[in-house]
Amino acid sequence: MTYYPLNDFGPVMKGMVIGGLGIFHVFLAQFAIGGGMLMCYLQWLAMRRPKVTSPAIDPHSQLFRAFLDSYFKTLVLISFVLGALTGVAMWFTTIQVSARTIGVMVDEFHWIWATEWTFFCLEIVSGYTFYRYGKGLTDRARMTLLVLYSIAAWFSLFWINGILSWQLTPALGQPGSLWANFFNPSFWPSLFFRTVVSMTIAALAGCVVVNTMSEIGREERTVLINRMAHFLGAMVVMPLLAWWYFSVIPADSRQWVMGGSIAMTLFFMVSAGASLLIGGYAVMALIKQRLYINGATATLLLALAFAATGGGEFVREGVRKPYTIRGALYSNSIVPDEVAHLRNVGLTTDDPYPLRDAQAYPNNQLRLGAMVFRDQCSVCHTMDGANALVHLAGSWTLDQKRLNFAKLQHLKTFMPPFVGNAHELEAVVQLVTWNADNRPTDWPDTSQTAPFTEIERYLEQAGTGSGLSTLPPHTNSADRLTRAATGPQ
Amino acid sequence: MFPLDQPLPTMFYLTLYVVTLVVHVLFMNYVLAGSAYVAWVSVFRGTDGQRPTAPAARVLRDWMPAALSAAITAGVAPLLFLQILYKKDFYTANLLLFHRWMAILPVLIVGFYLTYFLKSKRITHRHGLVRAAIGVGAFACFAFVAYSWTENHLLSQRSQVFKTAFYATSSIIYTDPRLLPRLGIWFFGAFPTMVWMLGWQLRYQRNTGQPVPGSEFKRLAVTGVVGLAMAGLCACGYLWAGPADEVGGSVIFGQSALVWTVSSLMGGLVLLIGLVWLAICPDQPTRSLALATVGSVVAILGATCVREVVRLNRVDLEPLYTQHAAAMKVGGLWVFLLFFAVNGVLIAWCFALARRKMGPLNA
Repeated sequence: MTYYPLNDFGPVMKGMVIGGLGIFHVFLAQFAIGGGMLMCYLQWLAMRRPKVTSPAIDPHSQLFRAFLDSYFKTLVLISFVLGALTGVAMWFTTIQVSARTIGVMVDEFHWIWATEWTFFCLEIVSGYTFYRYGKGLTDRARMTLLVLYSIAAWFSLFWINGILSWQLTPALGQPGSLWANFFNPSFWPSLFFRTVVSMTIAALAGCVVVNTMSEIGREERTVLINRMAHFLGAMVVMPLLAWWYFSVIPADSRQWVMGGSIAMTLFFMVSAGASLLIGGYAVMALIKQRLYINGATATLLLALAFAATGGGEFVREGVRKPYTIRGALYSNSIVPDEVAHLRNVGLTTDDPYPLRDAQAYPNNQLRLGAMVFRDQCSVCHTMDGANALVHLAGSWTLDQKRLNFAKLQHLKTFMPPFVGNAHELEAVVQLVTWNADNRPTDWPDTSQTAPFTEIERYLEQAGTGSGLSTLPPHTNSADRLTRAATGPQ
Repeated sequence: MFPLDQPLPTMFYLTLYVVTLVVHVLFMNYVLAGSAYVAWVSVFRGTDGQRPTAPAARVLRDWMPAALSAAITAGVAPLLFLQILYKKDFYTANLLLFHRWMAILPVLIVGFYLTYFLKSKRITHRHGLVRAAIGVGAFACFAFVAYSWTENHLLSQRSQVFKTAFYATSSIIYTDPRLLPRLGIWFFGAFPTMVWMLGWQLRYQRNTGQPVPGSEFKRLAVTGVVGLAMAGLCACGYLWAGPADEVGGSVIFGQSALVWTVSSLMGGLVLLIGLVWLAICPDQPTRSLALATVGSVVAILGATCVREVVRLNRVDLEPLYTQHAAAMKVGGLWVFLLFFAVNGVLIAWCFALARRKMGPLNA
């Protein structure tokens, strides 16, 4: 087991930090991807001749160009700065939350990441070239740059999507195959779904930008909005793609979304509901009736898209539980194969990092409990903040805590098994009870009196495996990942 | 000799790391020294709001956002290889510095937007104090990031015992006598790079008919020479503040680093000659700029290799050899090489489009 110096995020759950940043980054990245496609479409409209027999080009061609330049400026200022830097921030934040997870991902997919980087370079260069010189270039050159930008942006999604979807559906049955893991079962539905989401976000952002252009009138804005609404039409395939995605993810993950975990179900409903509202408005009002929307409405729709993205990303992250890499690494960065060993030697025995606030605890047993909590629980729980242990288990009786903590993976299958020995489990039980009792200055140490035989029996009954019934048995591929995670790092 | 004294997989990743880091450093130097130059000009030569803008500062303001974007993009590749090579040490330093380290991201975002403000027409017409504040603000952001990277790098090389003790203190600020001299090497060493990069841009402007006085080249050359001299002084300070083996030269003049130390010194000398030549003959900048460019790249490459040898002297890589070997066996290298070549050509095409004579719009 590799130990890292873990930080306390206070009342904020670590998952909320990475989740919040992730949603923001994904939204911006998808805006950049869809934005590239939308600009290609508008540039094509600016260049085309409406009828084959007509020598005249589209009367709105100048309008399309003017909008395109304005839109691109917005895209550069938002996506090139915030999008790029939140991407780097995702990397650093993942290190803060789960260094072992990012370590395994880098080991497995560094050439995929490096390939994505070459597309990122192309995206930046083509984007900045258009930004600086686009207005003075020929239509053909403009189109070339926009197509290059769009291809590069979409391929960034292509490569990253392979890594992200792998976390939930790794090809555990195909040992050592990078491409079997990359083109994993949820790769294609996820890629197509994200592509449609990108088109939606880009069109809605376009509707906002249109309303900021004071130099054009309402009639011209309506023309642009109606054109961009074509991109929203792609939303009609979203239910089909969502169904495809849910049909290929593991059954247990699917069950949580379909009611097994009410939080995940609610977030899914938020995402689906917001998408339905946007899609319904787009089809009925913008495409069929060709209505105009003002800035406030466009912003509201964009906010709904953000909510849909947030809900969807929460679900995507949530259904991976109890893993960050299914079958290979638990959410708390403990490798499944390490559990049995740590049950014997103890989770905290080899942890070199001391408690930072050791004086805050009245006895050594509570200090031990705090270390177990830090190493095992703190990635998803706080003690009395968000998703707090005190709120979840504070009212349980002592025996109830001992039984439930020992059989965590059976209590809730999205929880990993308890890692550590009976003394460590009792220490966590006492820690939660002590916190629930408002942290009194005196607290009895039960390290000699607790029913350890009983706790050991509970642990033995729980076993050291995951509580998931649908997980395939360990394979060479999973073993390889395990070695990557457990080796000297 | 580094990196040949390492097993093949480790050597392979070390080479990739060093090469990509050098590219990142070139853009980073442009941004760090360029923002300092713009801040200086904004404060000392632009506060009355009346003076004509110097070509160098104008070009820097114009290109700063793109250069920053290039620096960030180029920084992704070495960050990737760094994680393969020194995973645990790098991650541990990140975690130990916590908010302090993570602060570089919002600070970079602020700095990025300030560079856009600097070049916007609205700001150009504002009072000099506003421009000075924005210029200094942008530089302060990049200086903070440079400081943080230096701090992280030094902390990552400390022993496990030290890291454990540091964690126990709850401190998120790492102090080290080598920190400031090391930061000084980076900061002052960035100026010569910025000078020749900016020098090429000014030469291009002059060749396209825009007025660029010789005095501008001369001023830049002097700036570069001063930067180089200050970086040398800081290097002496760094050696003086460092551990005995490095001061005594057993590491930087040892078998592994000797060639790179000499390369770095020779590169620095060639760079100095190029800059002095540019100062003496500012109206004929091509050859002197070429000499400075070659010298600078060699010096940075040499210094980067020496930097790694020093790190390898502190960090025991041997337990990681099997990890590096396993990483090398993971597939995807050929796909990377293929798209590296394809996208390289497409990037060149973008540059060609930008250089092509601008045609009339069809409408």
